[in-house]
Amino acid sequence: MLTTPRLIAIALCAALNFSIGTIVYLIKLPIYLDSIGTILCALLFAFDRKTAFVCAWLSSIVSLIVSALLINPFIPWFAATDVAIALVAAFLITGGAETFRARTMRPGAFVGRVLLYGVILGVVAAVVSAPVVAYLFGGVTGSGSAFIVALFLKAGQQVLSAALLSGLAAEPVDKTLQVLLAALLYRATPRDFLVMLEARAEAPPSRAAR
Amino acid sequence: MTPNGALIFATLIVAGVTLAGRITGILLLLALCTVFAAVEIRTRWLAAFAWPVAVVAPLAAFMTIVWVGVVGRSPDEIAAGLPGTRAAALWHVAIISSRLFVVALVIRAVVLGFGHITPLDFISRLKVPLTLKKLIVLTLSWIDTILHAVDRSRTALITAGVIAPRLSLRNAANGWILVQTVWLSVITIAIGRARDKWPAENTLSRLDRSLDAPARGLTLRDGAWITAAVIAGGLAVLA
Repeated sequence: MLTTPRLIAIALCAALNFSIGTIVYLIKLPIYLDSIGTILCALLFAFDRKTAFVCAWLSSIVSLIVSALLINPFIPWFAATDVAIALVAAFLITGGAETFRARTMRPGAFVGRVLLYGVILGVVAAVVSAPVVAYLFGGVTGSGSAFIVALFLKAGQQVLSAALLSGLAAEPVDKTLQVLLAALLYRATPRDFLVMLEARAEAPPSRAAR
Repeated sequence: MTPNGALIFATLIVAGVTLAGRITGILLLLALCTVFAAVEIRTRWLAAFAWPVAVVAPLAAFMTIVWVGVVGRSPDEIAAGLPGTRAAALWHVAIISSRLFVVALVIRAVVLGFGHITPLDFISRLKVPLTLKKLIVLTLSWIDTILHAVDRSRTALITAGVIAPRLSLRNAANGWILVQTVWLSVITIAIGRARDKWPAENTLSRLDRSLDAPARGLTLRDGAWITAAVIAGGLAVLA
């Protein structure tokens, strides 16, 4: 399953997760943008959903390890969220791969799918992350969404429900943006690269395959 | 100490501090981490504290604003429906912050403890599947490539007048072009490496050989630290 081009793609997507996630983390934007590589990885392997899940999950795990050691020591606690994102990306978002790569873009279908997938992914991520945010961070993770948590807490909500409601308010926006960026990058990916990923043999395709 | 022993030690500490509910347990693990840093990093052990402080201090300040300034009572008081006090909220922030501090400290201590060897050497000594080692090494290599691509693409787009070097509305409108340029640049490099460069240089086989070196078993020193972490973690959870 893991041919050399596929390993390269997984590492590339992990590096993308790390690079964009780090920039966003360091400049303290109220969004995360740290799963674009995971979603993109699933889209690159859209021809086989099981492979898409394994590769997307591996890319998120690797970026998580590197981020934990170099930038954000608390990120491994969100490993379950990464699994959920990889699952949704592989088994749902890959369904839009043809729309995202259509030679003539149909803006209505493109935007519709991005919004649908983004909202579903956001809800799933919010539900899976809420217990971690509530227990380990006491509801406040340092991102801008903490003020939403504060509003819910002030209104008398419990920490878990405040973290969940805050996640449900902020995550769909963040994940829609991530799905949009991943879809646009997938659209921009050269056909050569996708052919390399689809090849089951270890040998890279010849130039004639282009 | 071996990298495997250090990672087991760090995992035990993180697990212990995650499950510890009281400040005494967290302080016990903090003390163990401090001794670990002093013994394993020696002269630079104070440096191990700089990163956790830099990471946790803003978070603690932020939590203080939210919990003490805005909410004004602790989660337990909210759950019990009590009016609550700011002192209890501050105590809650202290527990959460110290827990996060211990996590950041132990990770930093492990990283600094192996500062004298290269990342490739550290990864090759780990007892994990070869595929995972290879993925981590490739990812570190791609991170460098992406950052170089960002520099080059940014310069080219500024020169072409597509984006501006400072805050500008033009960047909001054309920022996407920078992201796309970086991605295309990196993908082109990836295709070139996978199809021509790496096979010609036999890079991946060489990488396999250097990563496939048999990992050393745990040493007595590892065993001592792991035992200490198990005991301290157990006490912290029970405290």
